[in-house]
Amino acid sequence: MMNIKDLTVNIGDKTILKGLNLDVEKGSVHAIMGLNGSGKSTLSKAIVGHYDVTVQSGNIRYNDKEITTMEPEARALEGIFLSFQNPIEIPGVNNAYFLRTALNAKREHEGKKALNAAEFLKAMRTKVEELGMKPEMIQRSLNEGFSGGEKKRNEILQMEMLEPDLIILDEIDSGLDIDALRAVAEGINRMKNGERSFIIITHYSRILDYIDPDYIHVLQDGKIVKTGGAELVKTLEAEGYKGIAESSS
Amino acid sequence: MSAAPLQIRPAELPELFATDSRTKAMLARLNELGIPGNKTEQYKHFGIKPLLAKDYTRIDAQQGEPQISGKVLSICDGVVTGVPKGVAVSFSTDFQADMQHYDALYYLSHLLTPRCIVLTVEEDAAITVVHQLTQEESLTAYRLVVNVAPQVKASFYETFENEESSGSLLLYGLDVSVGRDAALTWVRNQSSSEMSAVVIGSHRYDVAAQGKLTLQTFDLGAGNALHLYKNDLAEQTEANVAHLLFGTGQAHLGNVVNLRHNGRSAKSVHEAKSILKDRATGIFDGLIRVGHDARYTTARQNAKAILLNDNAFMESKPQLEIYTDELEASHGSTTGELDEAALFYLRSRGISLEAARKILILSFVNEMIDAVEDNEEAEAIRAAFDTAYATKEIL
Repeated sequence: MMNIKDLTVNIGDKTILKGLNLDVEKGSVHAIMGLNGSGKSTLSKAIVGHYDVTVQSGNIRYNDKEITTMEPEARALEGIFLSFQNPIEIPGVNNAYFLRTALNAKREHEGKKALNAAEFLKAMRTKVEELGMKPEMIQRSLNEGFSGGEKKRNEILQMEMLEPDLIILDEIDSGLDIDALRAVAEGINRMKNGERSFIIITHYSRILDYIDPDYIHVLQDGKIVKTGGAELVKTLEAEGYKGIAESSS
Repeated sequence: MSAAPLQIRPAELPELFATDSRTKAMLARLNELGIPGNKTEQYKHFGIKPLLAKDYTRIDAQQGEPQISGKVLSICDGVVTGVPKGVAVSFSTDFQADMQHYDALYYLSHLLTPRCIVLTVEEDAAITVVHQLTQEESLTAYRLVVNVAPQVKASFYETFENEESSGSLLLYGLDVSVGRDAALTWVRNQSSSEMSAVVIGSHRYDVAAQGKLTLQTFDLGAGNALHLYKNDLAEQTEANVAHLLFGTGQAHLGNVVNLRHNGRSAKSVHEAKSILKDRATGIFDGLIRVGHDARYTTARQNAKAILLNDNAFMESKPQLEIYTDELEASHGSTTGELDEAALFYLRSRGISLEAARKILILSFVNEMIDAVEDNEEAEAIRAAFDTAYATKEIL
């Protein structure tokens, strides 16, 4: 589904990713773990085409298409979705209007008929209920005044409505209480269908108690230094990132 | 209607006008302030000099024989052609202008207008004012006096139809008095193009004690229009003044506002939002003046502008002038581009760059359009905004 090869990425003058390689097969769940500053969020930004990052070398292929220089909206229409670590507040942009515009852009791209307001709202209300969100959030401005947990649930709501094929969750678990974490994890698990792939970026293992990853990758200084199965989490808990670094050097 | 050549030359002005004491006083004020030029503070980004140096065919405002036309006051080339039912409309040759106005063209427009159109509103009313201009290369001058009686609630919706008046100048203005405990809402929805007459409006609003003024202005499109306001607030009055400006092409659009707290315990909120694209120029020059007798004033002023192109320009000048100690006052101004992070967020969900830009622009303007109380008028403004947004610059 996605192959990242020798990817070197700068943010400003600083090189953050230093020849990173990663293969993501269809239907697989990957967790990327690492210390602050190791390059986890930069990796997610590089995949979705964030304006902060400059690709110096290497490439990203997605479904056999070179996407390294694609516009962010084109990547999204191809099925890539990033759940932001800190979703931005946009006052004056109605949550439902925004999401309907995004969904209909995707449907148009796929040659499907646009949803009218009634059809869309019916679908959105169902998802809002499943995620335990307050119904009034449908008509509120996008993320404006939302708590941290509400913003994360709103990201999951967008994910469920847009039905992407590759889902990148950047610290989806940060700042969530246990109930919110469970609701978010249930939303993610609802999306698993054996076809869709996930990249879960996290500092901590607690989200992985709810979502079973196929692979754990440890990112250090801009490179993946260790890859293993779910058992790697236990090693990380026992030895910390320092221990992993020493054993892989 | 009479037509005679006119060029506004200061030395010749006294000869143009009658010499009664009222006219003499206005002429003296005009001479004191001087005919505006490119260095005059309020006009320096408007390109006033060539406008006033030009030869126009002068169109004198005539009394005409207006028809009763529902709730519409229509003025075509300075002639009142329709008057609203139930509202007293008359013509006055001895209206006493405000002798403290800061704008020279306030006096010039009075001097060029021997008969002011006077509306007296003695019952709650909603009135539409339509300005129509049909002549090219002409100077039209007229003034409208509106008196809202005490305790009356009045709403005015002002629009312009001047698409076929290129090369012309409309010099008009309002002298509005809001009676004690009365409430006036004035909404100006002004769309213009390169083919529209240049409009200069020089206005005065006088709000009596406990009166309320809501002034909402919408300047949209590629034309040239500048409005200059002197708003006087007596004690315990409330003023909400809001401007939305969307300039395209080579537009020069602006509002110069002097909001004067003259009595105690008055509240004012003054907000301006501007969006400029192509090579458009926007002007916001807002002064809140809190006088010696205006203790316990609350005054808030805020101006925000978004530039969509490198060649667009915004002159934003928020000012406070305070002569008393006991008050709450604030002001601020920001000029910038569309938020890159917000644009990226929308694009990351598959929304195109152009659609994302429009969503963010609408989010910026919607608050002001939604604040228009009359839904039909709000939708008319929204439609005018959409038209201006969709218009491409003529190069």
